[in-house]
Amino acid sequence: MWREIGDREAGKLRPSSFSNRVKSNRIQTLQLSNQKEIVSPHRGAINSLQVDLTEGRYLLSGASDASAAVYDIQRGTDYEGGGAISKHKAIFVVDKQHENGHKYAVSSAVWYPVDTGLFVTGSYDHHINVWDTNTTQVVMNFKMPGKVYRTAMSSLATSHMLIAAGTEDVQVRLCDIASGAFAHTLSGHRDGVMTVEWSTSSEWVLVTGGCDGAIRFWDIRRAGCFLVLDQSQSQLGRRPPVLQRSATNKGSTAKPLLASQSSFAKARAQQRKHTNGNGAKSSTSKIPVKGSMKQRLHPGMLSSQDRATAHYGAVTGLKVTDDGMYLLSAGSDSRLRLWDVESGCNTLVNFETVRLQTSKPIQLATSPNSPLAFVPCMTAVKAFDMWSGRTALTFRGHYEHVNCCWFSLQDQELYTGGNDRQILVWSPSRLISDEDEGPVKDEDNWSD
Amino acid sequence: MSVWNYVVTAHKPTNVTHSCVGNFTGPQELNLIIAKCTRIEILLLTPLGLQPVLDVPIYGRIATLKLFRPHGEAQDFLFIATERYKFCVLQWDVETQELITKAMGDVSDRIGRPTDSGQIGIIDPDCRLIGLHLYDGLFKVIPFDNKGQLKEAFNIRLEELQVLDIKFLYGCSKPTIVVLYQDNKDARHVKTYEVALKDKDFVEGPWSQNNLDNGAELLIPVPPPLCGVLIIGEETIVYCSANAFKAIPIRPSITRAYGRVDADGSRYLLGDHAGLLHLLVITHEKEKVTGLKIELLGETSIASTISYLDNAFVYIGSSYGDSQLIKLTLQPDAKGSYVEVLERYVNLGPIVDFCVVDLERQGQGQVVTCSGAYKDGSLRVVRNGIGINEQASVELQGIKGMWSLRSSTDDPHDFFLVVSFISETRILAMNMEDELEETEIQGFSSQVQTLFCHDAVFNQLVQVTSSSVRLVSSTSRDLKNEWHAPAGYSINVATANATQVLLATGGKHLVYLEIVDGVLIEKKYVQLDFEISCLDINPIGENPNYSQLAAVGMWTDISVQIYSLPDLNRITKEHLGGEIIPRSVLLCTFEGISYLLCALGDGHLLNFTLNTTTGELTDRKKVSLGTQPITLRTFSSKNTTHVFAASDRPTVIYSSNKKLLYSNVNLKEVSHMCPFNSAAFPDSLAIAKEGELTIGTIDDIQKLHIRSIPLGEHARRICHQEQSRTFAICSVKNNQTGAEDSETHFIRLLDDQSFDLVTYYQLDAFEYACSILSCSFSDDSNVYYCVGTAYVLPEENEPTKGRILVFLVEDGKLQLIAEKETKGSVYSLNAFNGKLLAAINQKIQLYKWTLRDDGTRELQSECGHHGHILALYVQTRGDFIVVGDLMKSISLLIYKHEEGAIEERARDYNANWMSAVEILDDDVYLGAENFYNLFTVRKNSEGATDEERGRLEVVGEYHLGEFVNRFRHGSLVMRLPDSDVGQIPTVIFGTVNGVIGVIASLPQEHYSFLEKLQTNLRKVIKGVGGLSHEQWRSFCNEKKTSDTKNFLDGDLIESFLDLSRGKMDEISKQMSVPVEELCKRVEELTRLH
Repeated sequence: MWREIGDREAGKLRPSSFSNRVKSNRIQTLQLSNQKEIVSPHRGAINSLQVDLTEGRYLLSGASDASAAVYDIQRGTDYEGGGAISKHKAIFVVDKQHENGHKYAVSSAVWYPVDTGLFVTGSYDHHINVWDTNTTQVVMNFKMPGKVYRTAMSSLATSHMLIAAGTEDVQVRLCDIASGAFAHTLSGHRDGVMTVEWSTSSEWVLVTGGCDGAIRFWDIRRAGCFLVLDQSQSQLGRRPPVLQRSATNKGSTAKPLLASQSSFAKARAQQRKHTNGNGAKSSTSKIPVKGSMKQRLHPGMLSSQDRATAHYGAVTGLKVTDDGMYLLSAGSDSRLRLWDVESGCNTLVNFETVRLQTSKPIQLATSPNSPLAFVPCMTAVKAFDMWSGRTALTFRGHYEHVNCCWFSLQDQELYTGGNDRQILVWSPSRLISDEDEGPVKDEDNWSD
Repeated sequence: MSVWNYVVTAHKPTNVTHSCVGNFTGPQELNLIIAKCTRIEILLLTPLGLQPVLDVPIYGRIATLKLFRPHGEAQDFLFIATERYKFCVLQWDVETQELITKAMGDVSDRIGRPTDSGQIGIIDPDCRLIGLHLYDGLFKVIPFDNKGQLKEAFNIRLEELQVLDIKFLYGCSKPTIVVLYQDNKDARHVKTYEVALKDKDFVEGPWSQNNLDNGAELLIPVPPPLCGVLIIGEETIVYCSANAFKAIPIRPSITRAYGRVDADGSRYLLGDHAGLLHLLVITHEKEKVTGLKIELLGETSIASTISYLDNAFVYIGSSYGDSQLIKLTLQPDAKGSYVEVLERYVNLGPIVDFCVVDLERQGQGQVVTCSGAYKDGSLRVVRNGIGINEQASVELQGIKGMWSLRSSTDDPHDFFLVVSFISETRILAMNMEDELEETEIQGFSSQVQTLFCHDAVFNQLVQVTSSSVRLVSSTSRDLKNEWHAPAGYSINVATANATQVLLATGGKHLVYLEIVDGVLIEKKYVQLDFEISCLDINPIGENPNYSQLAAVGMWTDISVQIYSLPDLNRITKEHLGGEIIPRSVLLCTFEGISYLLCALGDGHLLNFTLNTTTGELTDRKKVSLGTQPITLRTFSSKNTTHVFAASDRPTVIYSSNKKLLYSNVNLKEVSHMCPFNSAAFPDSLAIAKEGELTIGTIDDIQKLHIRSIPLGEHARRICHQEQSRTFAICSVKNNQTGAEDSETHFIRLLDDQSFDLVTYYQLDAFEYACSILSCSFSDDSNVYYCVGTAYVLPEENEPTKGRILVFLVEDGKLQLIAEKETKGSVYSLNAFNGKLLAAINQKIQLYKWTLRDDGTRELQSECGHHGHILALYVQTRGDFIVVGDLMKSISLLIYKHEEGAIEERARDYNANWMSAVEILDDDVYLGAENFYNLFTVRKNSEGATDEERGRLEVVGEYHLGEFVNRFRHGSLVMRLPDSDVGQIPTVIFGTVNGVIGVIASLPQEHYSFLEKLQTNLRKVIKGVGGLSHEQWRSFCNEKKTSDTKNFLDGDLIESFLDLSRGKMDEISKQMSVPVEELCKRVEELTRLH
């Protein structure tokens, strides 16, 4: 570390490279935290974890005992071991006792992305509640057609306040906090929707994964989905050699019905790019990122495309990488797939998964720096290298199945929650520089 | 409250990051364009060397600087891209001599992760498109249309994940890039792609090459007729094209920069990490490459950029040392080097650490920086002062006085220089060859010491010796008249102007003579109470040849008196107080105000405002200029009168805005000075110093002067100890023994005057010095140097072991008094309540200094505080400790005496990666962070809840655009208690680019006024390339971008003074403040640095 600090001081190491390097070094050493401990108030499986996106300070958890809780992860409530170990008790818990609390399991709890004044919980009691954090009162309530599996809000959105909800129902519903009503429903899935995820590059793009094994991309300004991922489409990055290319070029000007998969993907890609350009860029830049106005208004997909699947079995988890270029998906077929978002191609990275939980949605996490994908694999959480698929780290600590994980890039900490009702913190190993007379540390602080 | 801050650059960036050569200012003019991170400089190549054309700030950190020539243009355009994804195309307008913006835009994207290896910007050699690699996995293309205008940009997916370099290939019918990249298995390959502009995609290129040198990092495209690309590795250099592959092994080195010598691309200059310059030659038969040859040319500064200018002249831009202009010689010199350094351009960067010292104890800070890196490491002494450009000098010992004389009253130039010694007087004059030559004035007495000389009216000269006053014709040079001192009395001091002579003889006599044509007339004589020590009759009234007043300094009663002339009536008497006699008095006028300056024998200077009619002395002020007697003389430079105070610390006294200002002259001890405005040396000064007579011109007033002390190794930390008059530095020596580079770490002790090495202490193997401090402990009168170290073992990610070493300087040696092992690296050391506060990895640890039974001392740990990721930067004030964390911003700790414990009081919850912290006042703390921002936080003691009190509120945010390594309280200018700016607290900072800046905490009223001015200036002063000042100064890091808050850009505000009168009027109207008032207030600010 000292060497890197020295290189940064002397300008030999770019500050951004410095911070990236430090982050990825720290991530390599993640282990069960010997300095931070979260005291879980839940009496049921932890289903959802999220740290707020504004300050990176408050962890929100949702559990099967119909409760949700918030913890301050930056400032401990108690300290042990001469200040070296901080304990974090919940700041508040909302549970069945609460007048507007959920009756059944909270499957999803997410922060309002703009500030920590609101959070949203989705429950198996068919309701989505919007809570005021400061008063811990329900300020809005949406009645859904079935058990709520997952809720999501876009962290980019500046022009809408929509909660996307995946439920037992085949339709994905968008609940509008601004109006308190359903904005619209997205139809296409043939079975319940286990997981929903907003794009990290456009506020209008939503990705959903259903029990039908499909992953659908929606532009919420338009009807229908514009992309269904197909696990067999895997020609990413292959560019035709010079000669062949000129042939296809000629072909494409003649608009043949050849619609090879790669060129089809390209057309959609252009549409995607256009949405980017319209969303935020063109207003600020003199030269818009993308000007092509050619687009397919309604894809009117071929039924074969519409029936494409991303996984055999249900899609149980989705995660878009922070750079907006890739999508990671988990399925009940115990597979992880990494998709190139722009082309919709399966990258064919072979993740060394063993078994994934099949019955419940799982919450995945990624770190942009290493780059790693954190995936609950039964009782353990594994971190896979995103490009090789190799297992980089394995986190064993939970006694039962792990349902969710959240990676905080700000602190380089991983939070995991499982059926054993524990929330575990995994932090970069820290050398305790206690002096000789310092208190002896209880290294075995993870079991109780 | 130090909430309202003003940030200004005292020393501009000097780290040269980019350079290019082309015809920018005219089709026939060859220009060198240099980027210094946030500035560009345009220079013109002339037979006389590099002439500056323009030096402008860019509102952005320059990531790409490229010259290109669109089709049909006669001269080059300049493309600049900034690190915050803005770009612009600039053209030179010959008529107005200004830059005009041809195009500008934003190329940021929401998708993609910023590249780790830095942004790449390239322009197709046939000018069809600009390529940018800004985000991993994306290649951005800005195409040109047929008219050379830029069209809409688009992205192309680039599957290569770790791109190291991208270049355009020459001689391809379609634009073709060559990509050097690293795969998942860390192997490096190159690949080519054609850019299909119509399809907005790549097409597989003509060739690729797998498994290159593992250190390959640089691509050099080879122009036609050869074409292809050179791949520069650490151990091999490869030439690669569709049909050829040639490789040669090289001595292991990391090539940092290259410059193409010939237009046909057969020769290249390569500069490596050790500063060695090589010539790479592609041997070829016609268009077929037959091989590569490499030859060592010699050593330069470590190059970050190389530009071959013309005729074997090469510009070497450096980030780690001074940039250079070199000439490549045909024949090697005695050392076998083909490099001849013609000029060096000072570079302070990277300023890793610095300290502010006041070595002469006169209230003016000097900054001593640890600058440069590797072999180019040095210390730089930066101070605000005036330089003398030496033009001629002769060795002359024992000068007792100097005066310049004209050959006739009407001659505008001085002709003679009279130099007086203890027992003779010599006269120098300019000869036909413009050389100073000894000559004679027959009428002068040359066998005795001269007390005073002056030109007199009617083509006469006056010489005063101890026995007589001689009046000599300046044309015939014969003695015309002589006034003898009364028998038994000798003349002690004398002064004169063109028509008057005043002298003092022994016996307390004061004699007044007047000069007429050919005769000296004794007009008046008085006997005073005490002996006279000094005299002056410099005319300050309307008549430039005649003074109505005489100033007289007295022995014994230590006073200065004003007498009227010609009747020698005493008008005023002013006791000076103290025991030091006045040694020089001077009547002078600055900006219409008359002053009496009176210099004492101990280096102090008193100044009074003089009422010329009543002789009344008011506004007495005293400053210390040096420690030795001062001699005062007036001189003029650029038609303004200044006063030169010759002493051990020569100083120029001048007036600005009706205030007297003092500026150091960068000379050691000057005994005498006289203006010598001769035809050959116009506007020069003759200066007598240390056995030498120098003739030189004087710099502009107010300029930073930099003295360089090369170390040959990289200094990392510096600290000054007043008691031992030494500097201690922590430095790293890079030893290159064979292929292995090893490092040795030293603590070096330098004399604070001569900067000679006194002694050194070598640290253990793998032991790095991380921090150094000079401090004393309670119950111990000694002052120690404490050094914190870390054992950096190759296999360890973070040091687990370090030491704190306590040294005492005794007889020029570093005596190790105590040593304490720590469990981690000691990032910071602070003196704290008579104890030592160390930041060790994530812990803050307090040590007390205890006496053991056997009389030896040791450091004993008292208490500590956990809760940091890495506590890198620590500052203390009273019981408060401010910690700058690696990634967790600033936290405030407090030491509780009763409990003997350190507790956290408050914290900033933002995720700022810190690079420096400083305490501005009790409540406000300043931080610099990783992404070139500054911010201030405030302690909220009055918060209603624990939560509020425990949170440091962010009160100021600003994008500096510079990486700050250190803040220190202090000032570069002499702080005069009477001036307005003297009350403004300032902090100095040093950055990687060699910037020395000042942050001044202004009163709120002052701040609001300037904020309004800044807003108005933004409208009037447009950024180069249309870049917005407001956006540039907005706080911006990975997480957020927010507007500037409570910081002002002093560089913008001070550029008000450079505006044309019309624009000033415009702003004055907007502000409804008169221009004079605006100028005055801005000028006041310029005196902060």
